[in-house]
Amino acid sequence: MTLLGSYLTLAAVLFCLGLYGVLTKRNAIVVLLSLELMLNAVNLNLIAFSKYGMIPSLTGHVFTLFTISVAAAEAAVGVAILIVFYRRRVTVNVDEFDELRR
Amino acid sequence: MEALQTLTVQDLWTLAPELALLVASVVLLVVEMFLPARVNRDLIGWLVMLSLAVSAALVGVHMADLQASGASAVSVLGGTYRVDDFANILKLVVLAASGLVVLLSLGSVRREDIPIRGDYYSLILPAALGAMIMASSAELITLYVGLELMSVTTYVLVAMRKSRPSSGEAAFKYLVSGGVASAFILYGMSLLYGATGTTGLGEIGAALSAGSDPFERLVNIGFYLMVAGFALKLALAPFHLWAADVYQGAPTPVTALLAVVTKGAAFAMAYRTLFNAMGQDERDLVLPALAVLAAIAMIVGTTGALRQSDTKRFLALSGVANAGILAIPLVLDLSHVHTSLFAEFVYYLIAYVFMNVGAFAVLAMVERAEGQTGLDAFAGLYHRAPWTAGAMTVLLCSLAGLPITGGFFGKLLILFGTVQTRAYWLAAILLATTVVSYYVYFRIIRQMYMRGGRTEEPIRVTTPAGIVIWICALASVALGVLPRPILSWIDAVFSLPADLMVR
Repeated sequence: MTLLGSYLTLAAVLFCLGLYGVLTKRNAIVVLLSLELMLNAVNLNLIAFSKYGMIPSLTGHVFTLFTISVAAAEAAVGVAILIVFYRRRVTVNVDEFDELRR
Repeated sequence: MEALQTLTVQDLWTLAPELALLVASVVLLVVEMFLPARVNRDLIGWLVMLSLAVSAALVGVHMADLQASGASAVSVLGGTYRVDDFANILKLVVLAASGLVVLLSLGSVRREDIPIRGDYYSLILPAALGAMIMASSAELITLYVGLELMSVTTYVLVAMRKSRPSSGEAAFKYLVSGGVASAFILYGMSLLYGATGTTGLGEIGAALSAGSDPFERLVNIGFYLMVAGFALKLALAPFHLWAADVYQGAPTPVTALLAVVTKGAAFAMAYRTLFNAMGQDERDLVLPALAVLAAIAMIVGTTGALRQSDTKRFLALSGVANAGILAIPLVLDLSHVHTSLFAEFVYYLIAYVFMNVGAFAVLAMVERAEGQTGLDAFAGLYHRAPWTAGAMTVLLCSLAGLPITGGFFGKLLILFGTVQTRAYWLAAILLATTVVSYYVYFRIIRQMYMRGGRTEEPIRVTTPAGIVIWICALASVALGVLPRPILSWIDAVFSLPADLMVR
């Protein structure tokens, strides 16, 4: 149980770091990286539960595989959108994403 | 451990509506690639319409089968996928809304706006497919895959207007907020899985109802995180800040898709998950939080719309207020005798789909003529296109909730629900925001009838867009004049314990 506790704590810390990064970082690439950090915290949670949880089962592993592949697809689309944007505006600074206001 | 199950022909038939969309989207993407450049890409759009119609027909056949057999649901894929009346009704709503959006695109999207129109049309299919999977899933992994299929596709659709930087900016904002939302939902799901050792919604609900749960706090945190994620997806205030920017930057038909299809699917996900997976303790603890979010959304959406000068941002904020209204049946106390909550929800959702798609269709026509989407683009619309101005008036009255429109009856039914379950404070907020919203929506009506336009030149309404506008306007009136048949149909088809619950 203690091992489960440490894994869950690590995952929670990772999740919060990721959220902090998404909310504060200026570089759009770093924002995408922070998003991945949040999703990987979930993976850690799932794996820890499926190994050390009250009711260990394989479902957590399966869930993780799905999360990893879907997160990869999301990241690919994210970078593609960023490239489309970069071609027009030549910046990845999130502070300059300010065309849509009012 | 269950024995390894094989996929039978019967299972494939159960999945036929989804498979039709899947096959069509793959085939159309390939066809588009090999189609000579001189062929008009609208052909792909019509084929997309056809496949949506085929899928809707298959859903209809399934509904009839289900009624005839007397069973409440058909489960396939080891109980992870469930075709019941809840799913079927929402699938029909999603397919109809997607069809209207494609028709609107056929009438409003120009080559210089979206250079890759073939891909644009065929990408609407996976979005609808994801929404259908969300409506039907009885298990967390399936739910998540459906959610991401829909979300990732809509990220791409938002970015389609490649010539404008605002489109890419909107897509990036949508991607980041959507990604954060899925991360929250996933984190909540992982905690639920950890506490119960299963990802089936029914099993989670059974485990949590059984009581004496050592992970009680973990489960509650999990539900709170999921509610936050749902609120982000639904654009409930205070998680709504992305909505105005994304709606403004996206191509107008895609904005309509975001407003109705993704919102409808997110509601399907919220209803299915929160009703099934929660025990009574969790309901008492977590649903008041969602009720507060719904109330804030109604207030912030209505007052925020007052200050907007861009029609798309205006409609985005109106969507926030409507999301709050649609969330009300979800949070009502089930211990009172109140069984019609799904009928209330679906009735308002149908009304919301028609009035919103119609308003966006009129906006798309005005945008085509004026080149901008400010509220002042509507100035003098009565002189430039009197019939369209009339249709828009009907749609805006429905959005505001004036009598003899669908929006009025939808709000009235939800109001009855809140009073029946003694949620008087929600009823008060719903009434107050409705009164304010009359002023909000009459801002556009004032522009159309009482302001002189820049020119008196008539606005040309393309035939497909005209069809969409009139379908939506007439449906809004029909829902207001004849609410009885639709309500009794929903009541006849749907019963809460048999159809929504995965047991």
